[in-house]
Amino acid sequence: MKEEKKSASGKGVGGIFFFGGFILALIFGWIVFPNLLFSEKAQPLNFSHVAHQDSTCDQCHSFNPDGTYSGIPRLDNCVECHESPMTSEESERILVEEYIQKQQEIPWKVYAWQPDNVFFSHAPHQAKNIECTRCHRDVSKEAKLPPYSENRLTGYSKSTMKMIDCEKCHAQMGANNNCQVCHK
Amino acid sequence: MKFGRRAFLQFAAGAVGGTLLSPMPWRLADDTAIWSQNWSWRPSPERGPITTVPTVCTLCQGGCGIQARLVNGNRAIYLEGNPVHPINAGGICPLGAAALQYLYAPYRIEQPMKQTRARGEAAGFQPISWSEALDDLVKRLARLKSEGTPGGVACITGSRWNSMDDLWARFFSAYGSAGLFKMPSHSDSLRATAKLALGKDSSLAFALEHASYVLSFGAALVEGWGAPARMQAAFMRWQKNGAGKGAAKLVQVESRCSMSAAKADQWVPVVPGTEGLLALGIAHVMVKENLYDADFVSRGVLGFEDWTDMQGKVRSGFKKIALSPAYAPDQVAARTGVDAAKIQGLAREFASTANAVAVWGGGQQNVPGNIYHEMSFFALNVLRGNLKSGGLVSLVPDVPFQPADDQTAASAEGGAPQIKLGSVPGTRVPLPGNGIYGFLDILTRGMIPPLEVLFVHDANPAYSLPENKIFKAALDKVGYVVSMSPYMDETAMTADLILPNHAAFEGFEDVVGLPGVPYAYYAVSRPILKPRKDTKHSGDVVLQLSKALGGNVAAALPWASYEEYLKNRVNALAASKRGAVADKKDIDLSKLQSSVSVSPNFKDGTDLWKKLTGGFCWYDVPVDVRSAVDTDSGKIELAFRAIQGKGLNVEDDQVYLPHFKPLPPSGDEKEYPLLLLSYGMLSLSCENLANPPFMTKTLWDFVLKKNDLFVEVNPATAGPLGMIEGSKAVLKTPQGEVAVRVHLSQAARPGAIYMPQGLGHTAYDEFIQGKGVNSNSVVEVQVDPITGMGTVWATRAQLRRA
Repeated sequence: MKEEKKSASGKGVGGIFFFGGFILALIFGWIVFPNLLFSEKAQPLNFSHVAHQDSTCDQCHSFNPDGTYSGIPRLDNCVECHESPMTSEESERILVEEYIQKQQEIPWKVYAWQPDNVFFSHAPHQAKNIECTRCHRDVSKEAKLPPYSENRLTGYSKSTMKMIDCEKCHAQMGANNNCQVCHK
Repeated sequence: MKFGRRAFLQFAAGAVGGTLLSPMPWRLADDTAIWSQNWSWRPSPERGPITTVPTVCTLCQGGCGIQARLVNGNRAIYLEGNPVHPINAGGICPLGAAALQYLYAPYRIEQPMKQTRARGEAAGFQPISWSEALDDLVKRLARLKSEGTPGGVACITGSRWNSMDDLWARFFSAYGSAGLFKMPSHSDSLRATAKLALGKDSSLAFALEHASYVLSFGAALVEGWGAPARMQAAFMRWQKNGAGKGAAKLVQVESRCSMSAAKADQWVPVVPGTEGLLALGIAHVMVKENLYDADFVSRGVLGFEDWTDMQGKVRSGFKKIALSPAYAPDQVAARTGVDAAKIQGLAREFASTANAVAVWGGGQQNVPGNIYHEMSFFALNVLRGNLKSGGLVSLVPDVPFQPADDQTAASAEGGAPQIKLGSVPGTRVPLPGNGIYGFLDILTRGMIPPLEVLFVHDANPAYSLPENKIFKAALDKVGYVVSMSPYMDETAMTADLILPNHAAFEGFEDVVGLPGVPYAYYAVSRPILKPRKDTKHSGDVVLQLSKALGGNVAAALPWASYEEYLKNRVNALAASKRGAVADKKDIDLSKLQSSVSVSPNFKDGTDLWKKLTGGFCWYDVPVDVRSAVDTDSGKIELAFRAIQGKGLNVEDDQVYLPHFKPLPPSGDEKEYPLLLLSYGMLSLSCENLANPPFMTKTLWDFVLKKNDLFVEVNPATAGPLGMIEGSKAVLKTPQGEVAVRVHLSQAARPGAIYMPQGLGHTAYDEFIQGKGVNSNSVVEVQVDPITGMGTVWATRAQLRRA
């Protein structure tokens, strides 16, 4: 008798508990967890792409003679114009005083930094006329660098492309998806 | 509504379901995998722009042009051959390809170290500053000099064919000690031969690129004889088109089927140590059958016919000796194991083929040889007429650093040297060559006062000196051992003070001439990156010591740094207005002729320095050997006329001529029925540089398997001893006993045991030490009675099952 009573009383309410747990877990998994997983890190200084629109993209982001891609420009590139401050902005003061005068490379946090086990070459992608914005954010109107979300576990950026993204595009374009194409 | 056990379980089930429908578990699984790739101890290559720096390799004397690839200008990642360089034309040897491991090795010494406990205790080394270390050393050196005993200071260096050689000589001369000694090398013998026969203090050189017939008496041509890359290039030419007449023929006379013998057109196996006898057998046939260059010999050679000595006594010439019955083919056949008919065949072939040359030595071990045998091989070239102007045998040309050097060289003359080897009774030799063994011997036996300070530079004698216990014993008579090794090697372990040199590629070095190469060569090796540790170039150490000592020493070595000193030498070279820089591709240096001079393509010293540090080399034409001859008679001397005036005056005419005179190894033949010979390999570094682990990986498993070293033994020798392939054995020589394993090979001559050189380190790190056995700990040195140089040919040995 006792047991019957219990089971009868719990039938309707049990669904509520189950549903409550289900909803809470969904909220945690979809909303709370992603915020917990990533920490926001500031870049060493702000860089305004808009302010540099008098230069072309490949004045800073260029291909080397051997076909490799320079990626983010090094300090030498900045020194060409910013040997002394050109404006009174805080970011420019940091650039000149902290890095150019001390001859230290700026430790930029790279939004698209890939692990060591990935071999990626920009050259064949450029040869196929793939737009930069297919993989990178559009910086043409960007005055302030977006915050850098670092995965607390892996240390990589939130915007680092995952393998699935590469594979999808390769499949669409009919490019080779064999392991050794990217993992040498 | 009560939240009981059941409700909790229901809640949990819901939560599990919800979690599974959220990205969390999948994300966590993925991220955990990536996290595990980034553990701090996982090696991660540095990223950044790649640059290429051209320089010149100084790991051996080969003078190869190389280029280093660097990330961010400070992390060297790759070494490759420089395609524009005339010596190696883009090629690189296994040691060069693996050499970056020296830069990043765990056994590098971080900073100066002082031994605070008993010598040899690894835990006793304490770091000290450079100023402390140098102050201490200066005090010792200054005290010895002021007390009038500068002879209490000595140095053993491995530097030859570079300017450190000259810097040490200046320092020791100015300081007033004669105690500067070099590690032994076969070029000591080529120098002694040139001194005897040509009256020149230079090493012999061979225009092998032009040879169409090469008779090699144990010369390890393919394994890196002299300048390895140049040898490989010459070997390639022999395969293709020797002197425009189809492929050249290489005949290798050697007891073991070495790599050179295996690659040769003909291998002539001989009884170990009888190569010299075979040469005399060939000379016998050439003289008897009138197959020699009679015109050249009669006009340009003294000692072939009977000759008159300094006392006016007529003595037999080489002709008489060579024709004696002892060198008749059947007599030689009985002792060398080569058929009489084959000896005659070799002699006729050698005599009749155009551009035939005999080369020798440096095979079993890169050490000097028996001077009588060296002269016998040389005599074959004389008979062949190879020492004419433009002939195949000449001298390594001097690099003209004069005259700017002269002013300082004059002030380099200092006090009286204290150690004169010949001054000790019983140690006097007629033609003193490299005296390191004599020096260590009289030091150990207490015949000279104990040393106060011994520098060891660019050398690891505790490991790589053949019969290395001689060095270890001598250390008991040394008050203060100063090692200048960049690495924690066996000698550094026994040091009282370590003043670490830069590792290769971290400092300015140079290459002065190439061993065995007839054209003049000079190159500067610029650093490819900043020194990674708190090290100092040994040249800078010598200059700082000189400056602190003051007086005539400081005056003799006035340069602020080793780089300044090299610049000064390059200025002098530019001022000589000789030679040119090979700054284009496909310059064939072997085509240079002594009669056709080259015009300089550099403006001045600054321009030359710029070109040299750009990875290019300077070259000049070969010397004309006929006009270079500087003997009393003005002729090439086959008779050792020069030694008579130096205390050797005996009745026996043979003493003054090339003849077969093996130096008997010690030990009882009954107890030690076999002969032990060691051999070098191109893939095994055996001198002051430990084999890099990358290269050790390339060793066959019948040379080294795990930590076991294999000796090569003929099945006919191993069978009666009850041994099969891989058997464990004990190898015993009068020098000691080691555990080895047996590799059965037809390449080995019956009755002989062959052991590779370059293994068995006890120092360095876990990746180097304990692998195999050091051949230098079991081989025996026999001192040549004429030159006093230590030779190694064979050691009596026994092999028994373990």
